[in-house]
Amino acid sequence: MHSRLGGFAPRAPRSAIKAAAVLGVAAIALAACGSSSKSTSSTTSSSSGPSYTIAYEGPLSGGNAQLGLNMKYAVQLAIQQANAGKTFGKLPFTLKFTTQDDQGSATQSPTAAQALINDSSVVAVVGPAFSGATKAAEPFFHEANLATVSPSATDPGLATQGWTNFFRVVADDNAQGPADADYIVKKLGDKTVYSVDDASAYASGLVATFDTAAQSAGATVTHETAPGTTQCQAGTGNVQQYGALAQKIKAANPSAVFYAGYYCDFALLAKAVRGAGYSGQLASDDGSLDPHYIVQAGASVAEGTIASCACGDITQVPAGASFVSAFKKLAGFAVGTYSAESYDATNTIIDVMKGLGKNITRAAIVTALHSVNYQGITKDVQFQSNGNISGTAVYIYQVKNGSFVQLGLVSQLVGS
Amino acid sequence: MCIIHPFWSLLVSGLSDGFLYALIALGYTLVYGVLQLINFAHSEVFMSGGFAGYFILNRTIGSHTPHGLDSVLMVVLGTVGGAVFGGLVAFGLERAAYRPLRRRNAPRIAFLISAIGASYFLYNLAGKEFGRDAVSIKAPFNLDGNAFRLFGAQVQTYQVVVAVAAIVMLVGLDRMVAVTRLGKGIRAVAQDADTASLMGVNIDRVISQTFVIGGLLGGAAGFLFGLNYGVVYTMGFTPGLKAFTAAVLGGIGNIRGAVVGGLVLGLVENFGSACIQTSWRDVIAFGILVAVLIIRPTGLLGERLGRSA
Repeated sequence: MHSRLGGFAPRAPRSAIKAAAVLGVAAIALAACGSSSKSTSSTTSSSSGPSYTIAYEGPLSGGNAQLGLNMKYAVQLAIQQANAGKTFGKLPFTLKFTTQDDQGSATQSPTAAQALINDSSVVAVVGPAFSGATKAAEPFFHEANLATVSPSATDPGLATQGWTNFFRVVADDNAQGPADADYIVKKLGDKTVYSVDDASAYASGLVATFDTAAQSAGATVTHETAPGTTQCQAGTGNVQQYGALAQKIKAANPSAVFYAGYYCDFALLAKAVRGAGYSGQLASDDGSLDPHYIVQAGASVAEGTIASCACGDITQVPAGASFVSAFKKLAGFAVGTYSAESYDATNTIIDVMKGLGKNITRAAIVTALHSVNYQGITKDVQFQSNGNISGTAVYIYQVKNGSFVQLGLVSQLVGS
Repeated sequence: MCIIHPFWSLLVSGLSDGFLYALIALGYTLVYGVLQLINFAHSEVFMSGGFAGYFILNRTIGSHTPHGLDSVLMVVLGTVGGAVFGGLVAFGLERAAYRPLRRRNAPRIAFLISAIGASYFLYNLAGKEFGRDAVSIKAPFNLDGNAFRLFGAQVQTYQVVVAVAAIVMLVGLDRMVAVTRLGKGIRAVAQDADTASLMGVNIDRVISQTFVIGGLLGGAAGFLFGLNYGVVYTMGFTPGLKAFTAAVLGGIGNIRGAVVGGLVLGLVENFGSACIQTSWRDVIAFGILVAVLIIRPTGLLGERLGRSA
């Protein structure tokens, strides 16, 4: 999902790398056994009319299976609720649900895609889940003009291939920098910002977009690179570098410090700047959105720090309460990463189908998705012409009383 | 401009970093003095001290917050605990990784490989046993608190603690080497091991004791370092490399040289990274090292352990 990690969960960089490694091994093992794509159908029909199938493609076995299950049950739930008339009233058709397991792998994904394309009842797909798998499968989906709405693929490159049938309800990796700049400069009104990156490929890309956006929003930006430290296994730097950097920041006295990198180094920097007597706003990216940041920096240092993420925490939103409990009932476990996004992706498709009424075809759904406007539980779903989600679909979190609390979407926070 | 504005602040943080470098650098210099061996596993002795301090203090402090005299006792306890454990690890290291090679008159390169192997073994062991994430030592005093102001610069209590602990240990070591029987033995072995042996100095014992002394200082430094930056299995890598640099800068094998080298390195790094960019910190430090070695190949003070002190 995150291109820098090659893995999935944005909050656990290291485990994601591990997951990616496991995935690689699993993919090889599976390739050796030959194709084993299987399709399962679960039908919940009570209404009449023609029936259409919405499919989910993602990892349902292998090292990342849990991540796929987080999504699968959300898609299933949305379909069940729609059939029962709970979400869209009585529909003139019946929805069916099918899944394809691609193990999150780019080698399995084309086979899974082909199986869905060959199933003529499938009118739209939620997924594929992973960026690599999406990249491999999308040429086939595009050729068949079958709409895919990914709840989780964040590689920016996916939107640049001219795949008119590609949509995603999650912000891509490039969205975070400008979103952070918007929030810090426009909402918090910080006009002098000191940005620091950890010299990793991900952070330097992120901080470059942040700097540009902050400057065009009218802020003065001082930029510095402080290599991630060996202590944090994040680079070649030495933890003692933060002492001098903190003195420099204190002397410059910016109204905010933005750090692009991971929680371990950010915690060291935060401690150092507070120790040097700096009292301005501390901010960082999704790499720092981890409870370990608060533990390592200390609760008093961490208090008030903001962090951003393309991931929303549905359990902190009142609108998500009924979804959270219904999901638990269906799946038998609590909502996880990208569950809510999958639910929104599915409901967006159903919303479009409802609008089309009797004229449902694969092509008609693709066309209609380009102009959809559906109020989901995570965000208002509208797509740009390249399939990316409109607006700034990045969430801001803040440390309050020793834990990260979601403040909301940047677009809503800045707009209000 | 960068030198003038936060000058005193940078001086303070530079000295504080420098004292830690000096404590670690002594471990390299002492061992080099008697064995002409770079003990690359010394960074893991440093790490062991950090973990010992972590376990001792977090168990002793528990949930209460130390104040006053209690704070001082806790710092002493942690430092001594770190030092003792560092000394033990250094002792074991010499026994396991170096003595067998010395017995067999192994070539010098074998010692180097043995050192690197021991280093990998120890830090991976620590990573496996104690987890991969950094852990924090419970603060025996308010680490963010300021002790006093020096020309407008805030001096943190932590920096004072580091400086006091380091000075006590450095002076103690200097006197020990100059005055005591063990010190004489160390100097004798450093000057000429064969002759010292003919004169009745037990070389094995002196080498072992030298390792332990280096380990005591390194372990104490590990605790002092971990107090502020947290303790993790990879913590020794860069400080170890930097301290080795400091030892070479001051003149490897020279006790006072290691102290001077450590302080110079700490100051250069702090001013350098503040003046240019944090990412240039190492470039500046190693640039200075190269420049010094071109002009004075034996380092700033440049003498061997045997003739110093």
